[in-house]
Amino acid sequence: EFLLQNEERDGIHFTWNVWPTSRIDAQRLVVPLGALYQPLKERPDLPPVQYDPVLCSGNACRAILNPFCQVDYRAKLWVCNFCFQRNPFPPQYAAISEQHQPAELIPQFSTIEYTLMRNQGLPPIFLFVVDTCGDEEELTAVRDSLQMSLSLLPPNALVGLITFGKIIQVHELCSEGVSKSYVFRGTKDLTAKQVQDMLGIGKVAPAMPRQQPQQPGMPTMMQPQAQQPQSPANRFLQPVHKCEMSLTDLLTELQIDPWPVSQGKRPLRATGVALSIAVGLLECSYPNTGARIMLFVGGPCSEGPGQVVNDELKQPIRSHHDIHKDAAKYMKKAIKHYEGLAARAATNGHAIDIYSCALDQTGLLEMKQCCNATGGHMVMGDSFNSTLFKQTFQRVFIRDEKNDFKMAFNGVLEVKTSRELKVHGAIGPCVSMNIKGRAVSETEIGLGNTCQWKFCTLSPSTSVAVFFEVVSQHTAPIPQGGRGCVQFITQYQHSSGQRRVRVTTLTRNWADASSNLMHIGAGFDQECAAVLMARQAVFKAENDETPDTLRWVDRMLIRLCQKFGEYNKDDPNSFRLPDNFSLYPQFMYHLRRSQFLQVFNNSPDETSFYRHMLMREDLNQSLVMIQPILYSYNFNGPPEPVLLDTSSIQPDRILLMDTFFQILIFHGETIAQWRAQFYHEKPEYENFKQLLQAPIDDAQEILQSRFPMPRYINCEQGGSQARFLLSKVNPSQTHNNMYAYGGADGGAPVLTDDVSLQVFMEHLKKLAVSSTA
Amino acid sequence: SVTQQGFNRLWGNNMESYDLLQNRNILPPTKIEAPSINLQHAFVDAQNCSPEIFRCTLTKIPETKSLLDKSRLPLGILIHPFKDLSQLPVIQCNTIVRCRACRTYINPFVYFIDHRRWKCNICFRVNELPDEFQYDPVSKTYGEPSRRPEVKSATIEFIAPSEYMVRPPQPAVYLFVLEVSRAAIETGYLKLVCDILLAELDNLPGDSRTHVGFITYDSSVHFYELVEDAQKPHMMVVGDIDEIFLPCPANLLVNLHEATDLVRELLMDLPNKFQGNPEPSSALGAALQASYKLMSSTGGRVTVFQVTLPGLGPGALQARSSGGAKDASPLLSPAIDFYKRLALECSASQIAVDLFLLNSQFADLATISGIARFSGGCIHHFPDFHVASKLHEEQLERCFRRYLTRKIGFEAVMRVRCTRGLGIHTFHGNFFVRSTDLLSLPNVSPDSGFGMQLAIEENLNDLQNVCLQAALLYTSSKGERRIRVHTMCLPIASNINDVIVSADQQCIVGLLTKMAVDRSQASSLSDAREAFINVAVDVLSTFKATQNMGGPSGLMAPHSLRLLPLYIVALLRHPAFRASSNVRIDDRVYAMCQFKSLPLGALMQSVFPDLYPLHCLTDEGALEIEGKVIPQPPRLQLSAEKFDSKGLFLIDTGDNLIMYVLRHINPALCRVLLGAPSFEAIPDVMYELPVLDNLDSERLRAFVTYLQEIKPYQPSIQIIREDSKYRSRFLQYLLEDRSESSLSYYEFLQHLKTQVK
Ligand SMILES: [Zn+2]
Ligand SMILES: [Zn+2]
Repeated sequence: EFLLQNEERDGIHFTWNVWPTSRIDAQRLVVPLGALYQPLKERPDLPPVQYDPVLCSGNACRAILNPFCQVDYRAKLWVCNFCFQRNPFPPQYAAISEQHQPAELIPQFSTIEYTLMRNQGLPPIFLFVVDTCGDEEELTAVRDSLQMSLSLLPPNALVGLITFGKIIQVHELCSEGVSKSYVFRGTKDLTAKQVQDMLGIGKVAPAMPRQQPQQPGMPTMMQPQAQQPQSPANRFLQPVHKCEMSLTDLLTELQIDPWPVSQGKRPLRATGVALSIAVGLLECSYPNTGARIMLFVGGPCSEGPGQVVNDELKQPIRSHHDIHKDAAKYMKKAIKHYEGLAARAATNGHAIDIYSCALDQTGLLEMKQCCNATGGHMVMGDSFNSTLFKQTFQRVFIRDEKNDFKMAFNGVLEVKTSRELKVHGAIGPCVSMNIKGRAVSETEIGLGNTCQWKFCTLSPSTSVAVFFEVVSQHTAPIPQGGRGCVQFITQYQHSSGQRRVRVTTLTRNWADASSNLMHIGAGFDQECAAVLMARQAVFKAENDETPDTLRWVDRMLIRLCQKFGEYNKDDPNSFRLPDNFSLYPQFMYHLRRSQFLQVFNNSPDETSFYRHMLMREDLNQSLVMIQPILYSYNFNGPPEPVLLDTSSIQPDRILLMDTFFQILIFHGETIAQWRAQFYHEKPEYENFKQLLQAPIDDAQEILQSRFPMPRYINCEQGGSQARFLLSKVNPSQTHNNMYAYGGADGGAPVLTDDVSLQVFMEHLKKLAVSSTA
Repeated sequence: SVTQQGFNRLWGNNMESYDLLQNRNILPPTKIEAPSINLQHAFVDAQNCSPEIFRCTLTKIPETKSLLDKSRLPLGILIHPFKDLSQLPVIQCNTIVRCRACRTYINPFVYFIDHRRWKCNICFRVNELPDEFQYDPVSKTYGEPSRRPEVKSATIEFIAPSEYMVRPPQPAVYLFVLEVSRAAIETGYLKLVCDILLAELDNLPGDSRTHVGFITYDSSVHFYELVEDAQKPHMMVVGDIDEIFLPCPANLLVNLHEATDLVRELLMDLPNKFQGNPEPSSALGAALQASYKLMSSTGGRVTVFQVTLPGLGPGALQARSSGGAKDASPLLSPAIDFYKRLALECSASQIAVDLFLLNSQFADLATISGIARFSGGCIHHFPDFHVASKLHEEQLERCFRRYLTRKIGFEAVMRVRCTRGLGIHTFHGNFFVRSTDLLSLPNVSPDSGFGMQLAIEENLNDLQNVCLQAALLYTSSKGERRIRVHTMCLPIASNINDVIVSADQQCIVGLLTKMAVDRSQASSLSDAREAFINVAVDVLSTFKATQNMGGPSGLMAPHSLRLLPLYIVALLRHPAFRASSNVRIDDRVYAMCQFKSLPLGALMQSVFPDLYPLHCLTDEGALEIEGKVIPQPPRLQLSAEKFDSKGLFLIDTGDNLIMYVLRHINPALCRVLLGAPSFEAIPDVMYELPVLDNLDSERLRAFVTYLQEIKPYQPSIQIIREDSKYRSRFLQYLLEDRSESSLSYYEFLQHLKTQVK
């Protein structure tokens, strides 16, 4: 109970809430000790603290004073709970006492946010990178959305505009008279230095030669100040309030890429170099300052570095099958190009959003690292003119109660641990900063070998999985009753320009696994475990060449069941799992059937998009992605959640399914017939009308709040779109009760695809209790 | 004898000879006319081509090579093929009558065997006449073929039927390429040029199809997209100068009439746009490559304004110097062949590049001029240009206005044919020689001249005369394909006397300057200077030999060549050939470029300016043009000896009219002509003649305006006091007087005397 409250408050969930005291014991828990942390969880209740945090002076410790520290109020000393260094309070804390504590010592402020008063940073920067190869309708839609976004930006935010097709144009803003852009060839990649030179950044106008001669006797102070040269990047990145007019003009006159496209050809679209120039422009003008590159693409890159397809229409863009057969000609080179850009952007703290709207793929697979490494959004739609895109894009600029953007910039998350722990790594929308330290483990999970990660942008829902290693040896375990500590320190640029530091400190009890396994087991958080395992599985699938992620998921599940199930050897019927483990196998069942691991039914771009979301969303949203939620609506009572199972499909029901990516309304056969006969329009069937309306209203609520806006599907029994539902539900009533021990290389247990949950569970039991597995 | 002299005068064979040492005032007070060509027999009445268009160094062609060699005179022609003409017969006909063998156009000097047949005067083939040739389009009657304009006029223009077109005639396309680097902007030229363009936009030759475009450049190249329904022009900067490319596929060259508002807006905005531009360098090469790409499908005219040494990108140049060596000859040749190669590409695509150079530092004109010289363009040089100088501003303005509005021919080729036995071997001017006798001229302008050297390849002794025909095929700015044909017929000389007497001394100077430019580049400046002196020695030696006059006395020159030594003195002091090291290399190169392409009249004025006294203008011998009386003062030798200290003098160099007020000028004259009560009250330098309500002022202004208006580029006026710091602007033209580094005319003659054997 208390834990839940704290989790809610701190935005953190651990897979295990009671920690084993030795490395071996931790390894034997199967599911690694890890946490899913939301660094910038919305906390309207959190008082903004207007001073700098107090740091431990311990050698290389620099932990921040927190409620778990021992304080000697008389001596004005505090003891660091990470390194046990005794620290004097700074002079301004002279007045503290037990009755008069600073906020950071009050237990309820285990999470606290400091505003650093030293530097007033820059306002955020938004650089629009717009594909002009689409048709008039698409271009108009993008233009309208951009125009709309200008009204949503704070007036002091800097904006810039790059457009591209066959060539790339960087537009100068606020130019009077003749409008001006700098043009780049789409086939030639350029370094930031070259971009800087070609844009003339850093060159300053000469002092006007016709200066008034100095008047003798006039004090120097009274001399008119030499005009400060304009900051050179200003010509391309201007405050909204200054350039809104000229930007509006530019957008209005935006033309479709004028290069002719012959029959049977794709337009030449130089997305790769356009993005490179955007990255270069920010790199040379605003390094280490919060910025977003917003890339709008309406098709695949077909020209220059980053090319994913050539311009022959008869040559389709690569599929999973092509990749599987190693026949994706451009993929590897393109991935390398975009990874390079992602790394540069991330180093400089700049996020890259990709808004991809096209009927076919646009190369998200190749470009994904740009979003994944920088925390930028990846949005996938059919058209810029769709509600999906428009609403989603609008939601990027959503504000909180204080009228601040719900987006933060250029963040760095640092994890500090008490001596018994080290950090394996992190999985989330971030990059490693390669900061080694005492607390860095040698074994890597996710992005390891560091205790700091860069988050170029953060939203309240941004979540990162952090994995911990217990370092104590079995022979020298931690004494019972002690507590381990972890501190998350997130420095970031608030959308107001302020530099802020969010600090979350928490502790957990240690327990000896040999004597207290029950106690440890009781601390298992199956939801958090499911999400962390899902992230780990996807991370493996993305980064390892080996295709045996499914097998790994299965193996981990079986081992966990073996460890925590109660059973008699070789007697599947005796198998029982504790309550707080009971949902976990289902999660794994749905995970292994999900689009995250089963890729062949989707395009590579879709796979990239789905995985992108799983790697960043918070616990609840991630669970919906892993195991969609199904609600049933009928005349017998209020809507209720039902099993994600074919048995839930009934003629007299309406189902609402939320897969995170899709919101689907499904009308049972009878309902569909009634609707076809327009019963709902007859006054005597008002209740039917209400029944039809209820799921629509609920769907709308989700559609209105989620980012990105899900695809909305309204279908009925027998309709073609019903396949989206059928692919998700457990096929309990199909004929697939056949299964086999699979795997060509033998030995390891593998469950065949597309078995029902029941079959899956039976097998799981069998394998778990087997003395040979 | 007197009768002999009279006979010779009648036939233009002035046999008088002069002792130059005795006849120091050798310059006639009136304009020196070209020697007349006297044809006999059938063509005695035929109109030969105007000497302003077509001239030969000898008005009689030696019948053999050995006779020519004996005369030691250069043989060649000068041609000014597209000269503005007040009267030009233009013919539109179905068949243009030409020789079937050598494609010569029928001309006044062919021989009609009968009504149906004519004999070609170039290759002697007998050709049939088409029926329609009997028809006289002027009188609209049938009759004698000799009534046809083709047979009556030695200069004629045909409107060509479609077989004279390789492709449909292209519209007039004008691209303006303007340097906007810091140094360029600081001269203030950009606003001036944009203002002139704005004013003359409607006067550009062309029709409803005329296209214009603009490129500016500093360290990058800037294009201007003029989309018809856009609110304003859009400037596109390409920084990738090493691999320049066009930033968009259309709207960089736009129809002037459809996009006129945008063009005007652009021209009004451009000067502001670059105010305070910090870019120090210019990528001329890339801008030219871009121009080529932009124009390659249509051809047209590229007008480049360059101010600095191009230091970046393709065609980048470094400041080179002679390292203090007196002979700067290597600097007269190009440092790299980039500009020549690009010019040849331009030429192949019918693009001519004209260069306006406004530099104050070394800009390596010797190298960059290649772009104009080989593409059929022209070169204008305004050294040290700054808009704050009224003189500079006025000169550029007058020049650029004329440039914009003068006639232009596109997609031109010129072929010169000559009677069998003669051969053309060296060409001078701005063009590319496409095949042995075909000059490729992407643009042809009324202000450019050409020269060709001739060789006598076969004996001509069974001929009465020889013919030269120049045919210029071009597309007019209105999109018509036209052919302008000039034919010149020259008699044959069979003895050395005839040859010498027939010499055309101005034409010889015209040809010599071109040959000397080549020699300066191929060998050295001192060789070229020596060659000039040798010409004088040779001519006088040959003459001496023909006269059989022994004895030590005098330095005899024939009437036809009596001014040659004077001209050579002037040439040796001209900036092109002056030995002094204080002539800046670009100024020298420009002078050389001018010699290669100026029409003879302008060339002669540049070599030997006209000096007039202005303090005694009368109506005696005055011209009357359109009711206005224009006094014609005598020309004076270029020597301070001629000065009346109470006087007012004018030097007309073609580019400049410089008045010089002597210290003791009559105050009354000062008042009536200059509006100043006394010499002291005259400003240091004036750039305008005051308009005063008196007869003397009117006469003076009439004369000065006349001098301005007879030239294609109206020169500007400077009025300088004898004690002004600017006086050397005038005094440098006193070419007959001794200077620090050169002999006076008399001293030169004495030197010649020692050499003539
Ligand atoms: Zn510490
Ligand atoms: Zn012939």
